[in-house]
Amino acid sequence: MVEVIDIADLAVTNEPQATLVTHSLGSCIGITIWDPETHVGGMLHYMLPSSVISPEKGKAKPAMFADTGIPALFRAAYELGAVKKRMVVKVAGGSSLLDDKGTFNIGKRNYIALRKIFWKNGVLIESEDVGGAVSRTLRLNVGTGKVTVKRRDGEVEL
Amino acid sequence: MTRVEEILDQVGSLSPLPGTVLRLIHVINDPQSTVDQIVETIKYDQAVTSEMLRIVNSAFFGLTREIQSLHDAMRCLGTVKVLQLVMAVHTNSLLCKPQKGYGMAPGILWEHSVGVAIASSLIGERIGIANRGLLFTAGLLHDVGKVILNEYVAAEFGEIARRVAELKISFLEAEKQVLGFAHDEVGGQIAEKWQLPEPIVLGIRYHHQPNALDVPDTVVDALHLADCLCLLLGIGLGADGLSYRADEAVMERHGLRESDLEMIGAQVLMEVQRVEQLFGEHPSTGESRELCAT
Repeated sequence: MVEVIDIADLAVTNEPQATLVTHSLGSCIGITIWDPETHVGGMLHYMLPSSVISPEKGKAKPAMFADTGIPALFRAAYELGAVKKRMVVKVAGGSSLLDDKGTFNIGKRNYIALRKIFWKNGVLIESEDVGGAVSRTLRLNVGTGKVTVKRRDGEVEL
Repeated sequence: MTRVEEILDQVGSLSPLPGTVLRLIHVINDPQSTVDQIVETIKYDQAVTSEMLRIVNSAFFGLTREIQSLHDAMRCLGTVKVLQLVMAVHTNSLLCKPQKGYGMAPGILWEHSVGVAIASSLIGERIGIANRGLLFTAGLLHDVGKVILNEYVAAEFGEIARRVAELKISFLEAEKQVLGFAHDEVGGQIAEKWQLPEPIVLGIRYHHQPNALDVPDTVVDALHLADCLCLLLGIGLGADGLSYRADEAVMERHGLRESDLEMIGAQVLMEVQRVEQLFGEHPSTGESRELCAT
C-alpha cells in the first residue's frame, strides 16, 4: 500500500506493508523517521522554515512549516509507540534555483531551520541528500525502514 | 527540413485558441470591460457556460441556492474569480496532457500553470498591477511553448541533461544549444500566432529572462517571480527541476523581501489545492506523478 504525502502534509503508520512517498521536493524538505523496534515510520513534507510569517496557517496546516511540522511528526510517531532515541532520521530536498544569492534561498533556510530544531532536541540525522537544483522523490518502506531518493539521474538508497 | 524549421512549422500548424477564449482574453485585457461585455463573450459558448455552472454549483462553493446564469455567477463570486475559472477550464485540455520530454505525468504542467497563474495574480496585487485577470491568463499560458517543444526535448533529453550537469548551464540554455530554440521563445511565437495581447506575449517570451528587456516590464517581473516560487515550492515540477536562473534584481526593483515571497508561497499552495479539488483532479495523489523521463 502506497501512501502519498502531499506538499505541507505528514503521515505516520506502523503498517508493515506501507510505503510512504512524497514527490516534487524542490526547496521543500522531506523527513523520514523510523523506529527499528516498533517499526513505526513517518514522513513530513514541509515547505517553509517558520510559521512566524503566518501563525494561523501554522495552526491550520502545521506540516507547512519546519517549526510546527517537525514536532507534529515526532509526536504522531510517539503516539504509535515510537521512541525518540531509537529513531532513524533521514532528510532530502532543500534545492535552489541557479544564480541564487540569497533572496530566493528558501531551500537553504528550510535546511537551517531543521538543523536548529534537531540540534536543540538532540536528534541526529542518519543520512541526507540536500541542495542542488534538482527535484526529488523520497520513499520510505515502513516494514524494512529502507529509504530511497529518486532524482532525474536515478534512484539511490539513503 | 532542419529541426529549427520543423519546430517553427509545428508552431504554425498548432490549432488556434477557441474563439471564445481569445475574445475573453482581449476583454480581460481591457480594463474598461463591463460585466455585460464579459457575459456577452462567453454566453454563446454552450460548453463553457455549462461547465462554468457545474463548477460554480459544486458543493465546493457551498452556495445556498442554484446559480442559473453567468450574470448570477459573477454577482455571487466576483467577476475576476469567474474569469479565472473560465480560463482554467479552457487551458486544462491544452495543458493537461503528459509532457514526457519534461518528465511530467498527466496534469503536472497544468498544475504548474495554475500555480504560476495564482502566484502572479498575488504578486501583481502586492506590487500594484491593477489587471489581475491578465496576469492570471499570462500565468496559465507562460509555459505553452513546452507543449510544442516536448517531443524534441524527449528525443534529446540525455544530451540536454548532460549539458545542464557538466556545463553548469540552465535547462533553458541547454534547450537553446541543443534544439536551437528554448521553450520561452517557442511560447512567445505561439502567443503571437494566437494574436494574444502584447503584455501576455511579452510575459511568455521573457518570463525566464526579465533582464533581457531594455525597459523592465511589471508583467514579466510578476511572471518571473511566480515561476521561480512555484519551482521552489515544487508545484508541478518536471525533470528539468530547478535548473533555471533566478533574477534577484526583480525582487529589489519591487521592494520585495524573502518573507514576502514566503507569505505568497503559503497562500499559493492553499489556492492551488483548492483549484485542484474544484476540478476534481489531484495529480499528486498516486504513483502516476512519478517523473517519467529517463
